Amino acid sequence: MLLNFDRLGWWKYILLGITLLTAAFLLLPIVFIAALSFGSSQWLIFPPPGWTFQWYGELFADPRWLESALTSFKIAVIVTILSVLLGLVTSFGLVRGSFMFRDALKALFLTPMILPVVVLAVALYAFFLRIGLGGTLTGFVISHLVLALPFSILSISSALEGFDKSIEDAAVLCGATPLEAKIRVTLPAISHGLFSAAVFSFLTSWDEVVVAIFMSSPTLQTLPVKVWATLRQDLTPVVAAASTLLILLTIILMALVAVVRKVLKQ
Amino acid sequence: MSTFSDASGVVAPLPKIRRPTGFSGVVPALAFVGIFFVVPVAILLLRSVLEPVPGLGNYAQLIGSSTYLKIFANTFIVSGLVTVISLAIGFPVAWALAIMPGRLTSVIFAILLLSMWTNLLARTYAWMVLLQRTGLINKMLMGMGLIDQPLALVNNLTGVTIGMTYIMLPFIILPLYGVIKKIDPSTLQAAALCGANRWQCLTRVLLPLAMPGMAAGALMVFVMSLGYFVTPSLLGGTANMMLAELIAQFVQSLVNWGMGGAAALVLLVVTLSLYAVQLRFFGNQNPGGR
Repeated sequence: MLLNFDRLGWWKYILLGITLLTAAFLLLPIVFIAALSFGSSQWLIFPPPGWTFQWYGELFADPRWLESALTSFKIAVIVTILSVLLGLVTSFGLVRGSFMFRDALKALFLTPMILPVVVLAVALYAFFLRIGLGGTLTGFVISHLVLALPFSILSISSALEGFDKSIEDAAVLCGATPLEAKIRVTLPAISHGLFSAAVFSFLTSWDEVVVAIFMSSPTLQTLPVKVWATLRQDLTPVVAAASTLLILLTIILMALVAVVRKVLKQ
Repeated sequence: MSTFSDASGVVAPLPKIRRPTGFSGVVPALAFVGIFFVVPVAILLLRSVLEPVPGLGNYAQLIGSSTYLKIFANTFIVSGLVTVISLAIGFPVAWALAIMPGRLTSVIFAILLLSMWTNLLARTYAWMVLLQRTGLINKMLMGMGLIDQPLALVNNLTGVTIGMTYIMLPFIILPLYGVIKKIDPSTLQAAALCGANRWQCLTRVLLPLAMPGMAAGALMVFVMSLGYFVTPSLLGGTANMMLAELIAQFVQSLVNWGMGGAAALVLLVVTLSLYAVQLRFFGNQNPGGR
């Protein structure tokens, strides 16, 4: 009876109450920031005295914001491509291969996911200072790739594990070369895994802040670093506008994932 | 492969020793992870025992100073509080999600995922504004007549705890939901038939059955909280540092790589040993988050 909602009696109102309050708690900051980005008060008073696009105007007028957004986007796209390619090759090796220490290697590849990011950030910062990659685009891409690759390997491996290899073998039997069979039969079949890998990798890089703080230089910084640096000075509504754009991109990507999942299921 | 040779009618002689296959596929990733993950972390940790002079001096300094001990205490207290509060809120929510009618459930799932994927800085910034002295939360509390003076909710550990709980909630609700969803309702029916009242059903059947999930989720939230950097440094203020900030400060402001490496090793050892506990007792679960 505790697992039947209709038979919970008055308990169900308590459960429902806690759940709705929690949902409101989770939604509050997101809605709040979006509302404030259109508010006319410099001091972030809520409810705002009036509505304005002023902060978006300031955001787009400042070339440094735009530049950091472009930097973020460029890095995220390169990381996504590399992460999916490397994840694909690695997953084939991990899922289809049989060699010593296979499970240990898989665990090693996933370790960056559980390691406190600050440790990785500090370690890479020291390393890049020494080999001259500090503050470079290459440095950014490498460090974000370390964080994105585990998500990519997980998504693609699980898709590949769910794919029946005999279908690929059948294609070879019908005259396809092994590579052709992989490209024309296996890849489409695991496309949902590739897609998740791409989205996860992109968002990992796009939202990354801890490593980026250490990788950035005065001339090269990502959008989250720019937000971080601005926040340390003051709580200007321009940050609310920048944050709202970051949130908007997340919603668009999430909607895209939902749509693609539906299409792939059919 | 056997179907392949049978169907084609070609019987290839099976090699006597199974040669390793597929290893070449993992070589690029192995090289990448080796050079840009294993080596840098190893160098950092090595520097903790080599700089400025070889020995365990950095560790002695870390343990011997009351300033650093207070930072360790802050880190563990906040992580513990965040874990307990997330669990207390997360369990009823996961329970409700597992049994509620469909439409509302999907709306709440969408909210959970949205908050999980919304940029961390954007969310933390929102809490900085919400929790300040003239912020919405203080205004609401004063408007309701619950307090006369605005509470100091930010630039202290209260702020960090609120912000971190907010971030960790989805990470505990989602695994708990999975665990409760898998519980067979007939076990609870059986308990009820045998005369257990609702409270007994909860404490003697539902909670024990959900316990492995709760323990695993709690451990994960605790470990993730220990290493958090962004939220504590923005909501905590300079006087209430946590371990991740200490590491960053050693390296960035003080350029003390020995101490930075030592603090990093402490964090790493605690994190990895708690994960080892998790793997040993609860199997593999996907962690996430920053």
